[in-house]
Amino acid sequence: MGSLKTFIKNVRKSKTIADERAVIKKESASIRTSFRDAGLDHTTRRINISKLLYLYILGEKTHFGQVECLKLLASPRFADKRLGYLATTLLLDENQEVLTLLTNSLDNDMQHPNPFIVGIALCCLGSVASADLARDLHGNVERIFTSNNPYLKKKACFVAAKLVDRDPDLAETFMPKIDQLIGEKSPSILLGVSRLIQAIYDASPESRPALVKTVPRIVGHIKRVVSTGYLPDYDILGVTDPFLQVSLLSTLRTLAMDSTCSEKYLEEINDILTQVASNIDTGKNPAHAVLYECIKTIFTIRSDQSLRVLGVNLLGKFLSSKDNNTKYVALNTLLTVISIEPQAVQRHRSTIVSCLSDGDISIRRRALELSFAILNESNVRVLVREILQFLENCQDNELKPYITSQLIYVSDKFSPNQKWHFDTLTRMLRSAGSDVSSESVSHILALIMQCKDTELKKHVISKLVSSWLHDSTQFCLSLVTIWTLGEYGDLVLESGIYTEETEKVIDDTLILSIIESGINNTTFTESETTLLVSYVLTAIIKLSIKFKRPESIERLRVILNSKTHDTNLEIQTRAVEYKEIFTQDLQLKKGILAKMPPPVMKEAQTMSLQGSSHQKSGRVDNSHAKNSTDNGNDLLDLMDDNTTTGVETNYAANSQDLLKDIFGDVGNSNSNPTTGTNGNQSTNNNILDLFDPASNQSRAVHAPEVSKAPDYANSNIAVTFIPRSVPQNGSATIEAIVRGQQPNASIEDLQLLIAVPKSQKLTIASAAGDNSLSNGKSIKQVLKIIGKEGSKIKLRVKVTYNLNHQNVEDMFDFAGIKETL
Amino acid sequence: MAIHYILVLNRQGKTRLGKWFNNAYTEGEKQRYTSEIHRLISSRASKIQSNFIEYQQCKLVYRRYAGLYFISAIDISDSELASLESLHFFVEVLDTYFDNVCELDLIFNFYKIYYILDEVYLAGQYQEISKERILERVRMLDKLD
Repeated sequence: MGSLKTFIKNVRKSKTIADERAVIKKESASIRTSFRDAGLDHTTRRINISKLLYLYILGEKTHFGQVECLKLLASPRFADKRLGYLATTLLLDENQEVLTLLTNSLDNDMQHPNPFIVGIALCCLGSVASADLARDLHGNVERIFTSNNPYLKKKACFVAAKLVDRDPDLAETFMPKIDQLIGEKSPSILLGVSRLIQAIYDASPESRPALVKTVPRIVGHIKRVVSTGYLPDYDILGVTDPFLQVSLLSTLRTLAMDSTCSEKYLEEINDILTQVASNIDTGKNPAHAVLYECIKTIFTIRSDQSLRVLGVNLLGKFLSSKDNNTKYVALNTLLTVISIEPQAVQRHRSTIVSCLSDGDISIRRRALELSFAILNESNVRVLVREILQFLENCQDNELKPYITSQLIYVSDKFSPNQKWHFDTLTRMLRSAGSDVSSESVSHILALIMQCKDTELKKHVISKLVSSWLHDSTQFCLSLVTIWTLGEYGDLVLESGIYTEETEKVIDDTLILSIIESGINNTTFTESETTLLVSYVLTAIIKLSIKFKRPESIERLRVILNSKTHDTNLEIQTRAVEYKEIFTQDLQLKKGILAKMPPPVMKEAQTMSLQGSSHQKSGRVDNSHAKNSTDNGNDLLDLMDDNTTTGVETNYAANSQDLLKDIFGDVGNSNSNPTTGTNGNQSTNNNILDLFDPASNQSRAVHAPEVSKAPDYANSNIAVTFIPRSVPQNGSATIEAIVRGQQPNASIEDLQLLIAVPKSQKLTIASAAGDNSLSNGKSIKQVLKIIGKEGSKIKLRVKVTYNLNHQNVEDMFDFAGIKETL
Repeated sequence: MAIHYILVLNRQGKTRLGKWFNNAYTEGEKQRYTSEIHRLISSRASKIQSNFIEYQQCKLVYRRYAGLYFISAIDISDSELASLESLHFFVEVLDTYFDNVCELDLIFNFYKIYYILDEVYLAGQYQEISKERILERVRMLDKLD
């Protein structure tokens, strides 16, 4: 067998993974064989164990060598012991019986006359301190405290702290040592004592009053470190012993929070904190580490007003630092400080806002949380504007639901006027309309119903429609727009309102085109589509009494009829019911289709204030519980997607009930069946005009997705082909979009195999999304076809996938593109 | 308040050093964490991003030195700045010991790195803060070998 060096070289020389495996396997086998040899000498064993350690680093199995490690450390030679202990700490885990074998060796070595051997034994105990080992060996550690060797004393402190962590009963054993140890001057021993104090404090409540009494000594040590000048051994970038300062300050913080900490002690702590904080120049990381510890202490303990101001100012300095690490800790700390010193944090508003555009996502997230936390009546306009801007550029989808629900909450609470409120909400829907919760949608609708100002309502409708024209792929924006058009379409039809950007007049034609694209959309998931189509149907029936031109009304009827055979039961039922109402006489219809009464929001609020509900609905009760707990937490809890405020939930429950009431009435009404003619293609063309690719580049990408029906669909998947550009000069780019048809089915490992006629060439470019369609995901693949000019595009498509873990294969041909290459 | 583990990974994700102060981790967990951490860290832009990430109820504090990532996992409530400084301290000790340390030193002398680590950290804490003392101690122990 070769040396360790040869083995490492051989592993590194391997050209392929297979070679490497072979080398490792061979070496591993030969190590095993040699371990079986009863007369193995220590030198060979040491070489073998060192190879075993290398295997460990490579992530190989090493369990077979555990007993050998123990044999090696029992050798009298120092080199054997050193490697033996190292291997033991790395290879053994605490659940093994081998540990009992270790106890004896540790016991012997910790009493060894050679302090270096004691040192490595201590080190091993510090690593593999199981509760059993702690109980059996604490006596040895205690004994080391009485020795005069500072090197061992230091190690003993850390090991004792670890043993106390493992077995809290041991706190009593080590407690008496503290008094003598805290008098030591050596920085490394103090570091250990500081750690031991914290361990005992955490483990034993009875020892706490006695530990608090060490406060003046700790303060003394800090004072000494701060006032000593330059110590070359302990200086790091101009700060004397930053590690010790950090550790002592953190221990001080623990002790100062104790209820037995007297006013006098607190005064001393306040003084030393001032001294530390004002004596250090900012700018370098070690200095920041000490200051950061100071600041944390200032805000955790009962400190002076002046000290707290100093703390916030230091954080302000941190925030404006160029170093991202410093910024990160500053934002983190400000989040905890906001509840203590809201006014002082407010002063750093502009710095916080500037962090919203930082390059680091974790800094942006924290800045965002802070922005919401400092929001109030006086800064709502400025801050919400910044947050909306952030939302518009936000790429992080995890963050969006948090932002939208928070925006609704704060704009509800602090809105300066109604117009601002609606403008904010529409802008939010426009930039993140797919990440708004259903509660929030109901809340927005309720707000619109509440609005008594007709002019403002018109303004809202115009805003919504122009936002929708800008980007119709935002789901909740579509919901709100379509609902509002259905409910208040008469307001705009009467007075000719223009949309903002494109200056289109909102008339029957425009409304009809919005309705049609809602019905024909292919952008959304199946459940979203169901909801959207339901909203559209309701809008249709409501508009049937608002439109004046007979051909528009007829068009509405045709769209409604087209859904009476929908495969979705919910949609079909609704369409059939509405079809019945459609034919009723106008007077009756006006009664049924009158405007929704605004939900009573006031009641909802007083209800939540009283804290008890007389309503029978369990949901409302639920929201009460939420109201009391969430209002405080949701500002801080960024990761919780379900963050809602109690108030919203109340609205939601309320307006949903109202909707149900009305639809219930509709469902019961009785009327005669009618027949209708299909046709009237004229309005259908509008939609094509609207999405004319030449008029707007960005729209051209989205538009076809909305209106195009799948080119192939079965019960599992639907495939749509969308030309990215008009085919010309013998080349075409087509985007294939695959969607799942059942939201609950798991479709995994999807593969799209596409063939073109021999005369053409196909390149399949980037795919978006992974190979799974579960949970409403979709897959997009861009195909580029090159061939003879004038030839027709023909594709043969084979789709293979695992449906609920069963392999399925679908094949079809596609030639649905009229244009030729 | 403790360091849970210290890892040294190269840019390809190969482990050059792994010290787990808490023996509760199983081998499988160690491997999984190591590869996840590598993926997390190697995708971050060092110029514009901080050296801290939250991961598995811990906070990772890391720094890249040439082709190697030095990573330590600390409690959420621990000081990131101090841990970063102590990582740097460890690297400085290695640099002096090996006289311009490079990845090959770590590969062929991995056990020495562990010996040095054991003098800098103990039971999940930094135990010594004088570079001179550590080097003196390690050299003395090496003589005994």
